[in-house]
Amino acid sequence: MRRYLALARMQARVVLAYRIDYLNGLIGLLLQVFLLAVVWRTVYGERDSVDGVPLATMLAYVTLASVQGWLFNPWVFTLIPDRVREGRVGIDLVRPVGFVSQVVAAQVGRTAATAPFALAALPFAVLLSGMAPPASPLAAVGYLVSLALGYAVTTVLSVVFGLMTFWTMEIGGIFIIYRMVAQFLSGALIPLWFMPGALRTVAQVLPFQAVTYTPTAIYLGRLDAGAAVLATGVQCGWVLVLALLARLVWSRALHRVVVQGG
Amino acid sequence: MPIIRADSLVKEFRRPKRVPGRFGAVRTLLTRQYTVTRAVDGVGFDIDAGELVGYLGPNGAGKSTTIKMLTGILVPTSGAVEVSGVVPWRDRERNARHIGVVFGQRSGLWWDLPLIDSLHLAATLYDVRPADLRAHLARFTDLLGLDEFLTTPVRQLSLGQRMRGDLAAAMLHRPDVLYLDEPTIGLDVVARDRIRAFVADLNRAAGTTVVLTTHDLDDVEALCRRIILIDHGRVLYDGDVATLKARHAPHRELVVHLAEPGPVEIADAEPVAATDGRVTLRFDPARVSSADLIGRVLARHRVTDLSIVEPDLERVVAGIYADRTA
Repeated sequence: MRRYLALARMQARVVLAYRIDYLNGLIGLLLQVFLLAVVWRTVYGERDSVDGVPLATMLAYVTLASVQGWLFNPWVFTLIPDRVREGRVGIDLVRPVGFVSQVVAAQVGRTAATAPFALAALPFAVLLSGMAPPASPLAAVGYLVSLALGYAVTTVLSVVFGLMTFWTMEIGGIFIIYRMVAQFLSGALIPLWFMPGALRTVAQVLPFQAVTYTPTAIYLGRLDAGAAVLATGVQCGWVLVLALLARLVWSRALHRVVVQGG
Repeated sequence: MPIIRADSLVKEFRRPKRVPGRFGAVRTLLTRQYTVTRAVDGVGFDIDAGELVGYLGPNGAGKSTTIKMLTGILVPTSGAVEVSGVVPWRDRERNARHIGVVFGQRSGLWWDLPLIDSLHLAATLYDVRPADLRAHLARFTDLLGLDEFLTTPVRQLSLGQRMRGDLAAAMLHRPDVLYLDEPTIGLDVVARDRIRAFVADLNRAAGTTVVLTTHDLDDVEALCRRIILIDHGRVLYDGDVATLKARHAPHRELVVHLAEPGPVEIADAEPVAATDGRVTLRFDPARVSSADLIGRVLARHRVTDLSIVEPDLERVVAGIYADRTA
């Protein structure tokens, strides 16, 4: 554990070595929250609620989804492709820590370094958007638990997809498509409750909704106690299934390691 | 009991066959045909604990690929490899605990952070005790001259500094085996000497087994007793440096500066060049000793200066590669 913490700390330091970059990201995030609030206010117009969803709920949803998305740093998403493409994977493989564990530790380190910025952004986001508070104290607790699970799901997902690089070498194109689809199906752009029936079913059987939709819906009390427990159970299930998948993919990738560039 | 055993190691790389002609790029993408290249083709050797072995060959000979199989990075296509009783690729983490690896072309240090951070991380990853860390760090700082740039971010280090930092990070946990993959590539003379001295010291004082790949033959002459020479993925020679020279370059040369220019005719020596009273005689030390030969020359000619030229490894190796491709 000490070793994983040390790896995470190193990655956190790398992030903090480029503070200005992160502050820029923060400004971008607040701008996004502000624009989304403007758009949804306009969409709602004079109406208090659409399909039984009050404006404040909608604003809370988009704000949280944005902040979470930023916290889970989807634009870096995974460190694997870079390491494979530049041949640095060779160095990772002679460390006395498993490759996948190193990647996960690094990702956790990045998030840990980002978290204070996200926390600092939250009051501004609340102010900018006029979002609703958590439905109840219990919902707030449930949100934090579900958020952590959502993070686990997105991290393992990124490992599985990142490992594809061992087969394709170049993953940029697939990645953009993957990210678009994942972002949409996670409910980061439009909450699942506004999706048409068929699409909603698709989103519900895939792991992506466990990343963004589930925690946010718990925060807003859109899921009652029973449904919330079930939803976090589903999240746990996804973590387990995806972790097993990651293990399987890695055991195959191991034989495909090629170190590029001499 | 050898510490490293490699037996009939083979590594093949597969890449999709390029389809020439119209829409070649697209058809390449869809093709199911592959070209197979054999980077390593049946390499085998045993290395005993405490040896310092030079593993050399021209570019693309399969040196780095072999090292990557020994270190557990690559899985061999066939053949067996064992280091300290561990199959490196099957048991990477256990293998990693008792080896150190330095790649000349690639750094294991953290690019954006001060060098000292990478060293501390290495100490944590390998469970180096704080007291040992202090002792090793002090020693390495002294031997490699790290103190002037310990707190500098790695991205701002010169190549020579980075290389020294990499060496220190690779040796902090006192591994039994050190693999150096072209450690002196692109370095200036001072940095090169420093690294050579460090490696020689590790081998002598701590008994670290060192495998050094390089195409800088000065490294080899300075450090190695044994060399393994490979080309096209096969071992061409495995033995000590002196034997290689004796076998492939038996001749030596005596260069004589004459007070009065003129032809030199001496038994057992063949003049191979003569310019302005500077005559080069080639002889076989097995047939005539250099002392004898010098005596014979001095008996007949007035000589202002003379010297004996040993064949250098570089020429020997170049000769072997040339013979092989011819």
